[in-house]
Amino acid sequence: MSVYKREYRAYTGTLTPLWARVGVVSRYALGEAWSSRITVGLFTISMLPVIIYLTGIFLANNALARVLVLRGNPLLEINAAYFMKVLSTQCWLALVLTAWIAPRLVSFDLTDNALPILLSRPLSRFGYVFGKFIALFSCLSLVTWIPALLLFAYQGYSSSTPWLGSNLRIASGLFLGSLLWITFLAILGLALSSWVKWRAVATGVIFAAVLVPAGVGGIVTAILRTRWGFLLNLPVMMTQLWQSFLGAPQSMPERLRLPSAAIVIALAAVCLICVAMLNARIRAREVVRG
Amino acid sequence: MSIIELDGLQVRLGGRIVLDGLKGDLHGNAIGLLGPNGAGKSTLINTLLGFHTPSRGTARVFGLDTQRDRARIRQRVGYMPENDSFIGNMTGVRFVRYMAEISGLPAAEALERAHEALFYVGLGEVRYRKISTYSLGMKQLIKLAQALAHGPQLLILDEPTNGLDPMARQRMIHTLQEIRKEGSIRLLISSHLLPDIDETCDEVLILKDGRIAALSNIEEERRSHQNFIELETAGPADEFCDTLRALGCECASFAGGRIKLVMPGSMEPHNLYVMASQKGLQIRRIHRRRDSLEDIFMRAMELDPERSELVRL
Repeated sequence: MSVYKREYRAYTGTLTPLWARVGVVSRYALGEAWSSRITVGLFTISMLPVIIYLTGIFLANNALARVLVLRGNPLLEINAAYFMKVLSTQCWLALVLTAWIAPRLVSFDLTDNALPILLSRPLSRFGYVFGKFIALFSCLSLVTWIPALLLFAYQGYSSSTPWLGSNLRIASGLFLGSLLWITFLAILGLALSSWVKWRAVATGVIFAAVLVPAGVGGIVTAILRTRWGFLLNLPVMMTQLWQSFLGAPQSMPERLRLPSAAIVIALAAVCLICVAMLNARIRAREVVRG
Repeated sequence: MSIIELDGLQVRLGGRIVLDGLKGDLHGNAIGLLGPNGAGKSTLINTLLGFHTPSRGTARVFGLDTQRDRARIRQRVGYMPENDSFIGNMTGVRFVRYMAEISGLPAAEALERAHEALFYVGLGEVRYRKISTYSLGMKQLIKLAQALAHGPQLLILDEPTNGLDPMARQRMIHTLQEIRKEGSIRLLISSHLLPDIDETCDEVLILKDGRIAALSNIEEERRSHQNFIELETAGPADEFCDTLRALGCECASFAGGRIKLVMPGSMEPHNLYVMASQKGLQIRRIHRRRDSLEDIFMRAMELDPERSELVRL
């Protein structure tokens, strides 16, 4: 029917399956995230370290470049410690991206009270949050485990010695470490964004949620002379976890190191709190009390 | 077939009973949901959409349970909420397309129908503008467009004329009348404004304090009350009413000597003058007209005189 014929017409065509609606939410969320030039800028900046690390791998594996550029300096060795640098650089850049993108995905819907309309469709609250999660997770994947594994593959390809097979733990560490971190960031970012109406404030709150407890944890550790204060210190916890995943040398003295199980439990606890926050906030209606 | 079936529906929110023991079947093409503020209209709508879980009883839409078959109901329903509800950062057409896609339309179909829906409600010229730049009337219309785009069988409209100026209100009413006339879509319109319901609906459910105060077919009601008379009087109005009731009239008196009555077929208006003079009552104005929704509403509210005072038209 032509659009100028202003008559109501019932829809009689086929419908997409229910699970595909989550994909619709993700697609529109991705569109929203990438409609900002700042997102594109941040993504570009996030790729710069990858190029630098790529150059490093090239130099380390090219005999001529080793002689001409590195002058035989053995400092540039491609091993777990090198990939630890790759992983930590990219993961912290992922935090910056989260702080920018997550509020864009949620706050627009909440500011204009779009949830009653969105959730009156055949879409559950879980489906809505999961759709947003997939969008954020995909964006973060582009700057974490995907480039890290590409670098790993390139190192395997360009190494003159059989390197890949004997260093598969690095690959699994890169994947697992990134996965854990970006899952955590995505949940944290969405939960905090759902509670803060203004996007700029939400961005600040996401940074604060990572950095402020780290400072508090440092104070607790120093005053009480206990390593458990580090359970509030996300950078320390994640560094320790990544190092153990990659098999890289631990930077923390043995007496201050936290058990990996304790770190995982702490992260899981934060995730559960975030899920509870999302559950309370992502509703079609305000909950009436008393 | 019933559109909506309520069977002892009770809904509690925050420990307070908001809807209590609602029972009835709604069949009409356009059903009005009427009641003073706080009567439970929006809660009933939210329950029908599956947002609230009944604490007792059940509610069914197209024979589907609002809790068990939530997704299937939502597939067949278009919902226009009372308050602002949109994504201001999106253009009109993108927003409506997004909503249609979430309702299950493939992307290309959703885009086509988004354009159609926007033209249908009269937003065709502004469909590429961001919604945040729309006027209040346009925002109401975009909510209507998104509710229509996926081709629902039931359109639930919560206070559709809220905040509209008289022109925009008339346009909205006209659009709803067209939808009703077209016939392939049922309407459930919630409002506290009687004229809105009067002009668009053929059946009305009146809620009061979370209970059903009246459930009636407006047209039938009108037909059954042909001899409706309004009086403006000075003098003992209550006594006069008692006399009329004794003669078989339905009668209600209001502040300022206003009396509304329905005469039995055997009675003529001149009898009123005779009785008024006997009671020492002056009839200053007499107006004979058909029963209106206002009167149905007033009767429904009569059980609680304090409430009826609050409902001013």
